[in-house]
Amino acid sequence: MGGELRYQIGQNAYIKLILHALKHRSSAVNGVLLGRLSGGDSNPVVEIADSVPLFHSQIGLLPPLEIALIQIEEYYGAQGLSIVGYFHANERFDDSELGNVAKNIGDHIHRYFSQAGLLLLDNKKLEALSKGKDRSPVIQLYTRDSSKSWKLIGDGSSRLTMKEPAANIVLLDYISNKKWQDIVDFDDHLDDISKDWLNPELFSS
Amino acid sequence: MVSKTEETQVNRLENQVDNGGGGAWEYLCLVRKLKLRRSDKVLKHGLSILNDSTKRSTLGSEEWTLYEQVAIAAMDCQCLDVAKDCIKVLQKKFPGSKRVGRLEAMLLEAKGSWAEAEIAYSSLLEDNSMDQVIHKRRAAMAKAQGNLSGAIEGLNKYLEIFMADLDVWRELAEIYVSLQMYKQAAFCYEELILSQPTNPVYHLAYADVLYTLGGLENLQSAKKYYASVTDLTGGKNTRALFGICLCTFAIGQLTKGRNKEEKD
Repeated sequence: MGGELRYQIGQNAYIKLILHALKHRSSAVNGVLLGRLSGGDSNPVVEIADSVPLFHSQIGLLPPLEIALIQIEEYYGAQGLSIVGYFHANERFDDSELGNVAKNIGDHIHRYFSQAGLLLLDNKKLEALSKGKDRSPVIQLYTRDSSKSWKLIGDGSSRLTMKEPAANIVLLDYISNKKWQDIVDFDDHLDDISKDWLNPELFSS
Repeated sequence: MVSKTEETQVNRLENQVDNGGGGAWEYLCLVRKLKLRRSDKVLKHGLSILNDSTKRSTLGSEEWTLYEQVAIAAMDCQCLDVAKDCIKVLQKKFPGSKRVGRLEAMLLEAKGSWAEAEIAYSSLLEDNSMDQVIHKRRAAMAKAQGNLSGAIEGLNKYLEIFMADLDVWRELAEIYVSLQMYKQAAFCYEELILSQPTNPVYHLAYADVLYTLGGLENLQSAKKYYASVTDLTGGKNTRALFGICLCTFAIGQLTKGRNKEEKD
């Protein structure tokens, strides 16, 4: 038996997801995580290298999701990255449950990548971010256990860590600059195909 | 629904006001007319007029409309003190008004005092049981508390009386989709298509729901509805074009398996 599986999220992947949720404050949003499995059997790590913000309206519909996943897989496959998980932010602030839609999408990704992780935005931690010096991600990790249900991994276990320890400080900086206005998700892309879901400009300026 | 030209107009005006170019009142009127939700901007620019007595006096009787608009925007931004002040001014001007009463109830709602807000809305409904806004507020309140089945019940009751309210049909459809109750959502979109047969938005949403439901028959009708969206928009809708591809592929997969079975 190897060590316990860990998840490590890169700064840009992390910031994109949170800014996306901030742009659409009054609706549920989701996104997909790209990366690879490394570390071998002794110390397995799912490295989340990038993320793509997906939708902010009607998350429960299949066609836009299928189109997005096909295109994302095609693009990132060429770079040696694959879909390793799913991110979800609930519509209501005080709703900290993982909904059925999120679980179903997670199940689907799990079929192709059995170490897939499900991330849920932790609204309370996000709100407290500007006041504290918390360096841990403002998201909760769920993994699929042997009984095929998604289980919350507690904060204390540090199974989900940040690759760059200062990511939250950078994130706060982006928030105060209202950087969330610039983020493009797949919904925006489908409405206006000239908008790029890869957000190539987001971190350059 | 907001057209592209209206959207560019409002964005241009917003930019102008943000950069101190004037036109705040025109902007606020336009936001109100188009029923947009830009609460942070409305609050900022609305207050700049309300706090300036010369600017305020030029509005005449429109002043009170602005107080109402700013109050609602302030509640949306959780600036409850501002909302309270606006409502107080309105109470003084229009004592005993139902419209101001509605704002008071909304303030309770914004505070999260659900039970008190419910009592306030109920008493307002006793005076006028046909007040559409209050019926909608009650459904929204159920939704805000995470009680989606309560919201569905409220909206269904509302639709029994106000069958022609398309926005409510749409809201109901979206709640059904979020609960993955696709058959019920499909029914709502059928109603919407019947009321506005040339609106591509409803055709597209209906096709998406049918595709999500799956099965050969649903896929075939989904494809037809995607085709009608393409027709209605002159081929400019990307979602519909992708939809046709997805349907064609899925139908191919299903029928391929079927032909093999027949051969076996």
